[in-house]
Amino acid sequence: MITRVEVVARRGPGGRTVLPVVRSCGQLAVRRTGPSTVHLVATAFGPLGGDDAEIRLVVEEGATLAVRTVAAAIALPDRAGDRPSAQRVVAEVAGELDLRPEPTVVTARADHRASVTATLAPGAVLTATEQVLLGRTGEEPGRWTGTTRVVVGGRPLLHTTVGLGPGAPAWLPPVAPRAWASTVHVGQAAGVRTAEDAVRLPLENGWVATAWGAELHTVVRAVEAVA
Amino acid sequence: MTASLLTLADSRLPAGGHAHSGGVEQAVAAGLVRDPASLAAFLLRRLQTAGAVAAGLAAAATTLSSSGRHRGQVPSPVAPSPTSPSSEEPPAPSSSGLVAALLALDAEADARTPSPALRAASRQQGRGLVRVGRRAWPSPPWDALPAAPHHPVALGVAAAAGGLTPRDAAAAAAYLSVSGPATAAQRLLAMDPLTVAAVTARLAPEIDAVADAAVREGLPADTDPLLDLLAEVHVVRKGRFFAS
Repeated sequence: MITRVEVVARRGPGGRTVLPVVRSCGQLAVRRTGPSTVHLVATAFGPLGGDDAEIRLVVEEGATLAVRTVAAAIALPDRAGDRPSAQRVVAEVAGELDLRPEPTVVTARADHRASVTATLAPGAVLTATEQVLLGRTGEEPGRWTGTTRVVVGGRPLLHTTVGLGPGAPAWLPPVAPRAWASTVHVGQAAGVRTAEDAVRLPLENGWVATAWGAELHTVVRAVEAVA
Repeated sequence: MTASLLTLADSRLPAGGHAHSGGVEQAVAAGLVRDPASLAAFLLRRLQTAGAVAAGLAAAATTLSSSGRHRGQVPSPVAPSPTSPSSEEPPAPSSSGLVAALLALDAEADARTPSPALRAASRQQGRGLVRVGRRAWPSPPWDALPAAPHHPVALGVAAAAGGLTPRDAAAAAAYLSVSGPATAAQRLLAMDPLTVAAVTARLAPEIDAVADAAVREGLPADTDPLLDLLAEVHVVRKGRFFAS
């Protein structure tokens, strides 16, 4: 199934954020839940292998947009073959974007490809989080690939691809975690911080924090502790 | 292939690589590398993340600095500027064009290397390679590089200066991503040199696959946060044997 979401946030009268464009089709609906907050609501099971979702977010200068989801996404395998499911977030930010979806659970035999591509104007503020759990309770881990590319003022700031699950390049014992969390922030600088299975790395005017481990709740706590 | 490739991938080339363990020293300290099997696993994850990125960068740098000889062999990692001609076979970049293109590639290397310790290690080795490469293979593209480029970018320029192809540069980068760390593990753990040589040699099919992908698929961004963490813990450690 093809899913397309588009939200444009604009600075309106009195500095309030208005949303002149809120569009969706496919498996996600958009609900405005606050002055500058939208929730993405899944309207079907999935994503399933073969599904393709693109979420386009535009935050114009002076506007603020927070994007949430109402529940964890459960990535399921292709029913017919072995096609991956894909979700791309494409963001153009001149204002402030806060993107914090609920976790993605990748079930056994599922292959989910996620990407966040953020193009920022100088002075834009971005916070984007990602939380991944491979397999439901007692289930074999699925496969997840996540790519993050952040460009600020035309210059690449961060471009990384993390592969998790059986067959992923850097997912080999003894470090083959079931749970993974990451936060990238642009807007305020921070230095290196390390912990057990967690690290924060500085970016120009920002940082990226990553944590991994066996349980999602401990990993989320770990990434928040170094962030 | 020419003998330049053997020279470029030779650990005796005095480019400063011997001072770096590619994360192995900290992996040994953390108990992650302790025997041939765990070393093989560590080298494989390094090869397929940092090694793959290095191979992609090196191949791209060779393409850029080869005066058009290998243009089109490697998908361009840098989006062409709107003013550039859109012909199938663009002319070799002018000197200032090459400076900008290599600088853009170096910025892509930065974006793929968020760890300050790994950035410093890469630029230190890049500077060392420029120093020896300039003498070994004099060529105009050396002047287009920044003062301390990322090592794979310098490696790609060296390959072009030595008459090698982007595939050769990618193979050298992929091989170097495991050969130095393997030697470091041998020294740190007093491992049997024959065993370590066998571990490295058995990675040949994976090294070839990484080099093939570098020229076929363009610039990857595969990363291993474990290597970032090890590098940052290592760099502030006292009494370390290797710089990284």
